[in-house]
Amino acid sequence: MMQSPTDRSGLRTRRLTMSAMFATLALIFTYVEFLIPYSVGIPGVKLGLANLVIIIALYKMDFKYAMTINLLRIGLSGLLFSGVFAMLYSLCGGVISLIVMWLLSRSGRFSMIGVSMAGGVAHNFGQLIIAAVVVSNIKMFVYFPILVFSGIGAGICIGITAYILNKKMPAQLFK
Amino acid sequence: MFKIITKADIILFIILILIGIGLSWFSIAGSVTGQKAVVTVAGKTYGTYSLSQNQTVTIKQNGHTNKFSIKNGYVQMTYSDCKNQICVNKGKINQTSQSIVCLPNKVVITIQGGDSKYDAVSN
Repeated sequence: MMQSPTDRSGLRTRRLTMSAMFATLALIFTYVEFLIPYSVGIPGVKLGLANLVIIIALYKMDFKYAMTINLLRIGLSGLLFSGVFAMLYSLCGGVISLIVMWLLSRSGRFSMIGVSMAGGVAHNFGQLIIAAVVVSNIKMFVYFPILVFSGIGAGICIGITAYILNKKMPAQLFK
Repeated sequence: MFKIITKADIILFIILILIGIGLSWFSIAGSVTGQKAVVTVAGKTYGTYSLSQNQTVTIKQNGHTNKFSIKNGYVQMTYSDCKNQICVNKGKINQTSQSIVCLPNKVVITIQGGDSKYDAVSN
C-alpha cells in the first residue's frame, strides 16, 4: 500500500516522539546506574542499563535513530553526571558497541541476546582503548579478561530483557 | 524461552569465553613476585621504587595527589584525591601481572620483576 504524505509525516512525528522518550529513558537509566555504587574494585564492570533502550531502538527503529539516541544520552549524561572527561569513555564504548550490534543484527544470524552480548564486550573493549590511550600504558589490557566476562554477563542479562520488552511493545508505535 | 537462542549466538558465546580465558591465561602466565614498583604518570615514568624497602611515596603532578606505600614487598595506594577511589580500593599487589591504575589522575603503578642480570648488564 502506498503511503500518503500525511502518513509519512505521521510516522516521522511518531518516531521523533519515541526517540525523545527513548533518549530520556536512556539518560534516566544512566543516572540510576550512576547512583548505585559498585564495589567490585574493577573499573568498567557494570550492567549497562542504558543499552537496553539502545538495543530496542535499534530493533524497533533503525541504526540512525539508535545512534542519535545513544549520542544524546552520552552527551547529556557526560554534562550532567560524570563529567566531560568520562564522556570520552562512554563515547568510544557506546559507538563501538552500537556499530557491532548493528552489524550483527543486520546479519540476521544472531538473536537479540547474542547481539547484546557482543555489544557488551565491544563496549568494554572501546572503553579500555580510551583508558590505555589516556594513561599511555598498554598494561591497561590486564583488565580485559575480566571485562570480557563482565561484558558477556551483562550483555546476556540485557539481551533477555530486551527480547521480552521487544515482543511486548506494540509495533504500531513505530510504524 | 531458550528457543530464541540461535546457533550463531552459541558460537559467539564460546568464542568470547575462549578469548576471555586465553587472555586471562596470557596475563597470569609468567607472573612472578616482583622486585620493584614503576610509577608512570600519563605514560611518562615518574619513578622506580624497590619493593624490599618499606616506604611511603607521595606523587604530586598537575594538581593531583596520590600516595602509595610499600610494605613487606607489597604496594598499596593509600590515598588519592580522585573521585572514584578505585585505585585505593584495589588493595595491595606484588605480582608482575598486577597493576594499580588511577584513571582520573592518569597514574599507573606496575610491578616489574627482578631480572637482576639484565639490570647488571645495562648498569
